[in-house]
Amino acid sequence: MWRLNKVRHKAGRPGGSLEELRLKRRENERALRQARRDRQLVSKRLLLNEDEEQLDVSMDTAPGGHDIVSLLHKLQHSGTDKEAHLKALSKVLRDPSAQLTFIKHENSMHLLVGLLTGSNAQCRLQAVRCLHELSHSSHTNVAPACLPATPYLLTYLSGPSTKFTELCLYTLGNMCPDSDVVREKLLAQGIIPALASCIENQRHNLAVVEAAAFTLSQLLQARDAPEKIIPMVLKSTLPSHLLSVLTPDPQFGLAPAIECAWCLHYLICSTEDNKELLAQGALSQCSSLLVSLGGAVTEGNKEDGLELLIWPLLRCVGNLLSSCPVEDLNAHLSDAHLPASLCALVQAYLHTLPALARETVWVLNNLTAHSTEFCSALLTLNLVPGLIQLLPFSQGINTMILRILANIAHKKKEFCVKLMQLSLLSALCATLKMADQEMVIRSLDILFMMTVSSPVVAEEFVRQGGLSLLEVLQYNGAAEMRQRSTYLLEKHLLSYQQHITVDNMPDP
Amino acid sequence: MLQPEVVQLRTEGRDEQQERRLSESEEGNNPFSFTPQIIRLHKDHELFEDGDIHRHMYLQDLYISEAEDKPALSVSEFACHISGCSAVFSALEEYEHHYNALHRHVCCSCRRSLPSARLLDIHIQEWHDSLFTILAQKQDMYQCLVEGCGQKFRTSKHRKDHLIRIHKYPPDFRFDKTKKERGKEQKDAAMEMVDDVCESEGVCEVMCNSPSDEPEGGESMETHECEEKASTEDVLAAAQDTEGTSTVPRKPQYSYRIPNTVCFGHGSVRGFGGRRGRRK
Repeated sequence: MWRLNKVRHKAGRPGGSLEELRLKRRENERALRQARRDRQLVSKRLLLNEDEEQLDVSMDTAPGGHDIVSLLHKLQHSGTDKEAHLKALSKVLRDPSAQLTFIKHENSMHLLVGLLTGSNAQCRLQAVRCLHELSHSSHTNVAPACLPATPYLLTYLSGPSTKFTELCLYTLGNMCPDSDVVREKLLAQGIIPALASCIENQRHNLAVVEAAAFTLSQLLQARDAPEKIIPMVLKSTLPSHLLSVLTPDPQFGLAPAIECAWCLHYLICSTEDNKELLAQGALSQCSSLLVSLGGAVTEGNKEDGLELLIWPLLRCVGNLLSSCPVEDLNAHLSDAHLPASLCALVQAYLHTLPALARETVWVLNNLTAHSTEFCSALLTLNLVPGLIQLLPFSQGINTMILRILANIAHKKKEFCVKLMQLSLLSALCATLKMADQEMVIRSLDILFMMTVSSPVVAEEFVRQGGLSLLEVLQYNGAAEMRQRSTYLLEKHLLSYQQHITVDNMPDP
Repeated sequence: MLQPEVVQLRTEGRDEQQERRLSESEEGNNPFSFTPQIIRLHKDHELFEDGDIHRHMYLQDLYISEAEDKPALSVSEFACHISGCSAVFSALEEYEHHYNALHRHVCCSCRRSLPSARLLDIHIQEWHDSLFTILAQKQDMYQCLVEGCGQKFRTSKHRKDHLIRIHKYPPDFRFDKTKKERGKEQKDAAMEMVDDVCESEGVCEVMCNSPSDEPEGGESMETHECEEKASTEDVLAAAQDTEGTSTVPRKPQYSYRIPNTVCFGHGSVRGFGGRRGRRK
């Protein structure tokens, strides 16, 4: 995984302590969160040169403007050494102000495109490197300036040189988020079929596949993607290619699978009815992969970055389940290990990535909502005690766990009795005391289903002192709690008294 | 709160359980409405925020392995659900302690909270049992408050003297107020009935029975006074300290008043404890 390998070196970079790095990370994280809230979450990737170990931010702020102008002049007028000038230009173009100077300069792009399409292969490589640096700019008006180059970049996608193709792809990928105009042009120029045939033809070349999938993911995150882009993608051969790359190659690493998984996630969550993807086996593939990843994690094989793949797979499965009729579930989820794997993932990531654990229990909810079989599986595989132990954890985890338990209780009387045998009642006696109203109401819902299922359960609840808990709730401020506890008590009174009078009337 | 986006109600073939529940819901009064739901999440859902950030940090070359970065896992708090009590706790044991100290041994007639079942029984007997009053005219009925002592006395004064002399109790022991002082207390009790349970219960209220200077309408002043006194004399110091409520009296959060006829504590008609206070 070339990306992660590069990142690890950051810890030892000169001039940057670990604490500084952490601070920078936190700042960036805050910025990203705000961007997401504004629906403007965008990232670009920079492909480093072979001789570069890491991104060298500490650049001397030499007068980039002058350099640009003089370099452009040299490129225009000198016959030889264009390659060296281009190389120098690409280095200079890493500086944001130099980028702006470049695009303001008349004919600069024209010159660059000329070199991009010229007969000198080395010049072409350096020219595309310049474009790549430009595409990485955070100024949104730089990318549109690169539009004249895009038809050529797209053409070169079917070329033989790996490095060159990668640069083209990442350049295109970086340009996608910057404006509607750019995307419209790219779509018109056939970026989707170009990406499809690129992946198809270069299937063996995982670096290219990774780059292509990245570019696609940039397109798919656009605000207008559901209307303008996704239908086209679904009609193309891209979905099946993405699915075929999902299983990570042990030697190359996780990166291509990660990109493809995120593409699939964007496709699925933006589409109401995913029957086409279901038909292509998306659910069975994603779930099988989750099962094997869950297995790896359980064995302690939690390699760095695994969660980058697990996360989108979870989302794919979670949302695909809403498009899959319950009768067809078995056809798609032939692997009965999915519930166990999901539970294993929750336990594995609960403390380090609680958000991941939360999404995993969301998938479990969707799995158990309408399927008696999967509810039964949770019981027979003895996964319920582990879920009950998660009830203390808030921020969406315990409320979802109660949903899952409610799903189980809802299906059959026998399930309710089994849940009682697993000490759910005493757990509910604790959750009924929680401050979170949703937890209390959901607990009351489960309690109702369980007590209605069998007098054994009702008796056990009374025996555990549950009645006083309900009495307290009867006069609580929230109507939902009052109504439910009152109703439950009144039903209890009846059934309990009946039980006494019928069964254990003391002898006179 | 998670808003489900798609509600799919598919019946796989109802079994007995579902039939029973359906017939119940048709009765009309059933407030329970849970149905299993598949939840569909769109791209920008807040549940997806953390994962998206993680992904983009990776893209921007800022990835940190989970070993280095430990976000906090939150645990749910507990809260006392008695209407008007806004105490919040981080651990279940704290909640139990609070509840046992302030809400468990409560006299239904006068809303006083006593620290133990035994003292509650004695209180009910001596204050609210007319039979006791009659018998006390002829026999020694006032029990020593110390468990195991067993002695009984003709008047509460005698008992008090006994407690001070033999058991070294303080002369102003809170749980040994005489009935005479109740004259004023009845007025207070009447005012307290209108309050929410939490404010009228508690150690402080038992203290504030001295027939001294309590203005008629000064409910809030009264409880404030009580709480001040309570904080200096720590019979239930532990309870006061661990519970989440501050010593500043808080306006009850809910306006729903509990009717006078209902009581959660001892002798509650609703509870299955039966009339423990009456029958021995």
